[in-house]
Amino acid sequence: MKRIVVAGILTASSLAAHAEYEQVNLTVFGMDCAPCAHAIHVSMKGIQGVNTVDVDLNTGLVTIKLNPGNSAAMRQFNEAVEKNGFTHKDANIVVRGTLTGTPNAPVLEVSGTQDRYALSPLVAGTDIAPLLGKTVTVAGVLPQAPKGKLSGTLRYKTIAEAR
Amino acid sequence: MKRLVILACVFALPGIALAADHGPVFSYATPVNSQRELSFDTGIFVRNGSQGTQFSTGSGFGYGLTPHITVNVFLPATFGSGSLPESRMVSGSEWSAGASWRFLHSVTSVGKRIESTASLSLVVPGPQQDSGLLTSLHRAPGVAGTLATGFASRSQYLWAGAGYTRFSEAANDRRPDTISWSGVYGYRPAKLRRGYDKWDYRGFAELTGEHTGNVLLDRTIVPNSSTTSVWLGPSILAIFKNVAISGGVQAPVFRDASDSIYGREHLRFAINFSYLKYSSHTSSH
Repeated sequence: MKRIVVAGILTASSLAAHAEYEQVNLTVFGMDCAPCAHAIHVSMKGIQGVNTVDVDLNTGLVTIKLNPGNSAAMRQFNEAVEKNGFTHKDANIVVRGTLTGTPNAPVLEVSGTQDRYALSPLVAGTDIAPLLGKTVTVAGVLPQAPKGKLSGTLRYKTIAEAR
Repeated sequence: MKRLVILACVFALPGIALAADHGPVFSYATPVNSQRELSFDTGIFVRNGSQGTQFSTGSGFGYGLTPHITVNVFLPATFGSGSLPESRMVSGSEWSAGASWRFLHSVTSVGKRIESTASLSLVVPGPQQDSGLLTSLHRAPGVAGTLATGFASRSQYLWAGAGYTRFSEAANDRRPDTISWSGVYGYRPAKLRRGYDKWDYRGFAELTGEHTGNVLLDRTIVPNSSTTSVWLGPSILAIFKNVAISGGVQAPVFRDASDSIYGREHLRFAINFSYLKYSSHTSSH
């Protein structure tokens, strides 16, 4: 019984600290018709951990919501766009990770993936020093990177300790 | 006649068609398959003239090796005896296998792109006999090259393309070289620019032209066997997710061909069905 309780506590704590993407909103250029959108939908759904995918052809916006506990990497979303012959622009993401680095040069590490971003505020004024070393949830913009590359900087709008 | 139609339909079921994926029916266009996308097309093409009607079924597979390179196989079969000139715009009796390379791909904004695609195919005689003047020819393989360029958007499409096919000589006979060209304008009305989970429709105006060279028969050029014709007509494409149905009709707007050899070709008609199987494969990180 004791073992079960300990295991339960460990599992709960590991889930609470799990770093992962929660939502990815990608703007995709070049999709003109239904098969284009369907191709993106199928490709995104093929990524492990993706819960729902919505594609708006008129705005080019692809909205991806992910399941808790996923280990999807940002590169996989970009590849899903590129393999269908389209181009991805800036991405709005909500991601959970560990805040490391220094107050002047904070870094977000999305453990379980190799994704690591230097954080840069979209609006100045947030004191992130108290959050260093903690698991945080960040909402921000990932600027467009060249094909096959991933931006190293995440321009955050909000940052808060993850619940 | 009825039997021929039924036969053509039955034969068409397992195949793919000339109008690749989700482009116009008769004209050259730039789309290629996504990486690992498998496309399957099948269709029926009808050429009607004063000396009879020729039915063709065009069947083919395409597979996207990369986002911009697709390999394809096209296996048509013909029925009927139209005694019509060689055509590379409407499927005939030649099988072909080749590759398409989208060498220019400029994505300018949401829903818009400018692109150019080149294709090269090996063309080999199929098992069906041709009709008319071409029946008596010994057939040999040939090479076909095409180039298409154009613009795609949510509202409008514009493509121009050209192709050239040259056949080898066989037993002193040679099928005519063919130069083909096309221009197509497409439009999707505002009300039909809907979500991808609804039927997607667009209409095209397709202008196609062909010049076929002289037929070489037993080392002799058959007099007046060269032809030139230009065709114009509408087509419609309907797509639901990964299934597309398109159909179109064309009438001649210019025709320079010997009536005694080929008769007068009045009408071209095509209907095409496409199935697109997209890959959900993604790399692990």
